[in-house]
Amino acid sequence: MATLRERVIAALTPYVGATVADTCVRGTALSIGKSADELNDSDLPALKSNVRRLLSPVAPSTVIDDLLAQIERGN
Amino acid sequence: MSAQTSAPRARGVITSGTYLTAGVLVALAAIFSFLSSQMYAGTLSDGAYTAAYWYGTLLQVLLASVVITVALKIGLNQRVGVQWLLVGSGVASYALGDIVWTVLDLHMGLDPYPSVADVFYVLQYGFFVAALVLAVRSYKDLTPVRTPIMIAALVGLVLTAAVLMFLLVPYIFPAGTAELGFWGLVVSTFYPLGDVLLIFSPALALSLVIRQLGAGRLGWPWWIVVVGAFVFALTDTAYSYADWAGSGLTATLEMGWVVANLLFAIAALVARDAYRVR
Repeated sequence: MATLRERVIAALTPYVGATVADTCVRGTALSIGKSADELNDSDLPALKSNVRRLLSPVAPSTVIDDLLAQIERGN
Repeated sequence: MSAQTSAPRARGVITSGTYLTAGVLVALAAIFSFLSSQMYAGTLSDGAYTAAYWYGTLLQVLLASVVITVALKIGLNQRVGVQWLLVGSGVASYALGDIVWTVLDLHMGLDPYPSVADVFYVLQYGFFVAALVLAVRSYKDLTPVRTPIMIAALVGLVLTAAVLMFLLVPYIFPAGTAELGFWGLVVSTFYPLGDVLLIFSPALALSLVIRQLGAGRLGWPWWIVVVGAFVFALTDTAYSYADWAGSGLTATLEMGWVVANLLFAIAALVARDAYRVR
């Protein structure tokens, strides 16, 4: 089972590239006082909220909804 | 990193509809290139010349409508939709300018430079700079944008100095209102400076920002916009010089603007695919 960090990076990379996807996860983790590797499913709401905030200026909401669903499903 | 996290290949994202539409637009532009060369060679009859002239003008309208249609499909309630509407409005302003230019030049026998057409051409800069600045700003929480903006501003200042030294001071300013007329002097000064400060520099900043996305598909359409902006700026600056030099428009210059707007239309088509939910 992939970690939350891996799931988020896997979902975001095709859209924003690996570096920005990783930065996105790290930034979220920092904002809740954790490291990226410590993120778990209980952090999903905070992570989803942050991903939506970061992507809403650069992608339509349909894409963001789909990405968040992917992250939640883990595929 | 697993294959699952790798960036997408264009083949998997860009649809056959986009390849087909882009191919048709490129073919239409290629036809104009041929017609334009014949127009400037003086080999066309009056009727064929008029038809070829309007063909080029209506091609710009088609390119504008492609970008605006994509923007409306993305949705104006989406911030990225507004960015594309601004790009489309820029191309539409250019197309409106071309319609006015065509009527003045072809049907009224008036010198269209400078003229009311320039109002629309100048408006285009406003739309493009707004689109480019919004696009850069939209990435500010995802990637560092300050350094790209500073680099682009620095390059813009250097190029502005170059435009002043090599174009405006030696050629345009001495010609003055006596040779160019008041509005001629205004637009001949505005275009090269606008090309550097309002088109080239913001486009450079955008390219440095989206470069950080690597192969991420959200950057693809903006890369094409950046190339279109560079082609537009180069063509426009060349025209300012050509107008002063007395050679005026050429088939190559005409194609520069067509290629720039063609690239904006293709960028919008690519954006439509990049934003599509898989």
